[in-house]
Amino acid sequence: MSLQNYLVISAILFTLGIFAVLTRRNAISILMGIELILNSCNLNFAAFSRFVTPPENIDGQIIAIFGIVLAAAEAAVFLAIILAIYREFGSIRPNEVDTLKG
Amino acid sequence: MVIPLISLILLCPLAAFAVFGLMSLARRSVPRQDYLSTAAMLIALVCSLLLLQHVVPNPSPHTVEWIAIGNVSFSMGFYLDSVTAIMLIVVTLVSSLVHIFSMGYMHGDPRYPRFFAFLSLFSFSMLFLVVSDNLLGIYIGWELVGLCSYLLIGFWFEKDSAANACKKAFLTTRVGDVGMFIGMMMLFTKFDTLALYGEEGIFAQAAGLNTGDMVWLSIAGVLIFCGAIGKSAQVPLHTWLPDAMEGPTPVSALIHAATMVAAGVYLTARMFPILTETSSLAIAYIGGITALVAATIAIVRFDIKRVLAYSTISQLGYMMLGIGVGSYVAGLFHLTTHAFFKALLFLGSGSVIHAFHAMHAHNHDEHDAHEHAHAGADGHEHTHEHGDSELAHAHGSEIPPDQDMRNMGGLRHKMPITFATMLIATLSISGVPVLFSGFWSKDAILGGVLERAMEWNSVHHYLLFGIALFAAGITAFYMFRLIFMTFFGEPRNQEMHDMAHESPKVMTVPLLVLAVLSFPIVNKLWFNDAYVTPPKQPHVHAPAHAGLQSVPTRDGIARLQNTQDSKGTFSLFGVSEALADEKTAVEDGAHDTHADEGHHGHSPAHNIAMVLSIIVAGLGILLSWLFYHKRTLSAASVATTFRPLYNIFWNKYYFDEFYNGVLVALTVWKARLFAQFDGSVVDGIVNGVGRVTRDGLAAFTGAFDNRVVDGIVNRVAQVTWAIGGRIRRIQTGAIQTYLLVVLAGIVALILIFRAL
Amino acid sequence: MEFTLKSLIFYGFALLTVTSGIVVVTVRNIVHAAFSLMVTLFGVAGLYVFLQADFLAATQVIVYVGGILVLILFGVMMTSDRLEMRIHIERGQLLLGGTIALALLMLLLTIIAKTPQWKNIVDEGEQLQPTTERIGNLILNGQFLLPFEVVSVLLLVALIGAALISRKEVRD
Repeated sequence: MSLQNYLVISAILFTLGIFAVLTRRNAISILMGIELILNSCNLNFAAFSRFVTPPENIDGQIIAIFGIVLAAAEAAVFLAIILAIYREFGSIRPNEVDTLKG
Repeated sequence: MVIPLISLILLCPLAAFAVFGLMSLARRSVPRQDYLSTAAMLIALVCSLLLLQHVVPNPSPHTVEWIAIGNVSFSMGFYLDSVTAIMLIVVTLVSSLVHIFSMGYMHGDPRYPRFFAFLSLFSFSMLFLVVSDNLLGIYIGWELVGLCSYLLIGFWFEKDSAANACKKAFLTTRVGDVGMFIGMMMLFTKFDTLALYGEEGIFAQAAGLNTGDMVWLSIAGVLIFCGAIGKSAQVPLHTWLPDAMEGPTPVSALIHAATMVAAGVYLTARMFPILTETSSLAIAYIGGITALVAATIAIVRFDIKRVLAYSTISQLGYMMLGIGVGSYVAGLFHLTTHAFFKALLFLGSGSVIHAFHAMHAHNHDEHDAHEHAHAGADGHEHTHEHGDSELAHAHGSEIPPDQDMRNMGGLRHKMPITFATMLIATLSISGVPVLFSGFWSKDAILGGVLERAMEWNSVHHYLLFGIALFAAGITAFYMFRLIFMTFFGEPRNQEMHDMAHESPKVMTVPLLVLAVLSFPIVNKLWFNDAYVTPPKQPHVHAPAHAGLQSVPTRDGIARLQNTQDSKGTFSLFGVSEALADEKTAVEDGAHDTHADEGHHGHSPAHNIAMVLSIIVAGLGILLSWLFYHKRTLSAASVATTFRPLYNIFWNKYYFDEFYNGVLVALTVWKARLFAQFDGSVVDGIVNGVGRVTRDGLAAFTGAFDNRVVDGIVNRVAQVTWAIGGRIRRIQTGAIQTYLLVVLAGIVALILIFRAL
Repeated sequence: MEFTLKSLIFYGFALLTVTSGIVVVTVRNIVHAAFSLMVTLFGVAGLYVFLQADFLAATQVIVYVGGILVLILFGVMMTSDRLEMRIHIERGQLLLGGTIALALLMLLLTIIAKTPQWKNIVDEGEQLQPTTERIGNLILNGQFLLPFEVVSVLLLVALIGAALISRKEVRD
């Protein structure tokens, strides 16, 4: 249960999130990837707060809490956007939403 | 005293006109413009008479500098010698009388004030022309009188004939004026001044010219004389004067008989010192031919005013002839006497016409002043109906009935004053001896011509004498024809005759005054052969005709004659003592003068001329009496016998036809040619240039623009577009791809920095 | 390395988290993926517990599992008809994304392994005080009051914005 254990788990989660964001052709799947990435971040904060800073200092945890709040807000907005896109394009495949295509 | 008097003479008529002009600008009319103008003229007349005392021999001009352009300066000034003084009196006197006459004649005309304003302007212009001491001033006055003539001929501009006549007069005189201007410029380039008198004046410089310059000076003289040809209606520019009779009769009397047309004679006399022998001969010939041609035309006219118009032309020819043969004094003397009796004749004819005008008034209404006015207007309408242009007249058509002598006859009982005064004038112009002024002045000219002919033994001058003598006879003939047809015999048109009446006093009084002036004794009060001394002409006696050695002899004779003359014929009629005194002074001053023109009587030439002219005049009057009063000879049968000659006279030598047919046609043809030239060549060049510009240059630059400039721009745009087209594929719009690239970049960056 | 119960449980949680995470990114059915995500989130919450972050772990479960996950499921329901339940994946994209992700993982692992400060920091296992009270003091009385307020406003804005965006447009 060393710091490196947590960091490895966090890195794996992060990579998985990236992979999901890059490859999944579904907006909600992408949202899931993003949640994975955010979780890996929060995990890192908590881990560093535990291992690197003095034990009394729990700033990392508080930032992680803020991160969760942000994730919640992000998820809400994200889903709202997805709904709007769905209404506009009839699809939530990100590669089909290409109005900005050159 | 001289300057204030001259200024007053000039300013009075100018002020009268200025008042009218200013009031017109203010859209107000002057209540009594007629009184104003007449008063101005009377003041001018008094001043002119006062001025007579101040005439001195060889006066110096009063000048002020007017304009200076670089080194050239023009001065304005007055010059008062005897000629000026005489002209001033003639102009102011005739003008005053015409003003008074016009009050009756023009009464009730809708533009009555304007008429008097124009008369005032004319008087000012004429007086300015007379008193100017330089050619520029003379030219200004010259053109101003031309303008006034134009305005007054066209005074009844509602009539087409009047409108045409005034244009014709203006344009015809313009032809002469161009010549005059060229002549002035020649003198200016030679002498560097337009001033006539003074040490630097033209005359002083011209006297110093040598014989080599005579050709040049002759040309300049003839060119200046061209102005006189136009203004004094000499052949071939005389055709405007008969047409000018479309103007009101007082205008005919003042401008086209007495004064303005005499301006040409005055100018010629003024320029006398630069007239060479050649130019003098040319002037004499023009004058002689004019005298004859106009007289012959006058024979066959029926319009009373046209007869007088041709008579005027003829008499002006005499004056020119006199000056041309060196009879300077005689020419001016004839100018003076002619001014009075011709003004009298015109005013008399005006009185007759007025009488017939009044007839229409009677037809309408009571004979009160207002209706009288109406009569004037009505009569003009009548004129309008019948009298068209001179051309129509020439083809034997309409003459205004109130001017047609065939409608007249027997008027002497109806209009005794008019008859008597006109008879005096006719006797004067016909040259009835001794009692009448015209005899003396005309005889002076005839004598001068014959004298010159005998002295120089010159064929030219003998020929001129013959012409002048013949014309004198014709003059007597046609003038008495006028008298007989108008005043004697039975009335030809009973209706018109019944209505005719004597004119009101305002018209007859000027007639009486002028009649008095037709007696030589009155003229001699101010005109005297000694009083007017001819200036010296340059080199007149140098070549051909007379030998140089004759000059001293002639001088001697001249001096001898001058002394005799003080008791001679001419002087019989009253040389005042003061003038006689001056005469001696003049002779002293004019020692070199070899001219004795104007002194006739005792020289054989003058005696011969006098006898011959009396015979010829008597013959003319006799023939006229036989033809038109006694009717033992039939004018019609003579006309039939000499049909071709009659036709020539009737058609006035075809001058108008010639001008219309040749000059006008030529001008029109030339204009067409130029129009064609304009249309084909000029427009062609312009269009060609345009086409070359459009099809060549513009097409080339257009192609350059399209191909090269636009090509570059388009190529750049295409390349950019093509590159953009390729590059834009990077922008897939798929966010996952972007993110992919971003991450790839991050990975790459991390790898790179770790490697470093 | 000693295998205590505690470490066993830890590794179990770690394995659960990673495995379910892999399932989330690989499974074709989106509903399956969502449920798998729930397992991952639970796993992370467990890891928080091992980090002595009790309040954080609780928040994780409540917010994520109780809030966000339900939200995701609602999104799935509203946007995906039955045919769209299957997540579409392209081979080329999968290859590229996999390569990049793998490279990233390699890098991260290399960094984690090679960073000297992070080596050999182990959990001594000392028992710490519950964090809830301290967190509450820090947030409401201490230095995090302002971020807390800012975040609460942000949350409010995000909710209003989301409601505005997602509602049906009423054209007048």
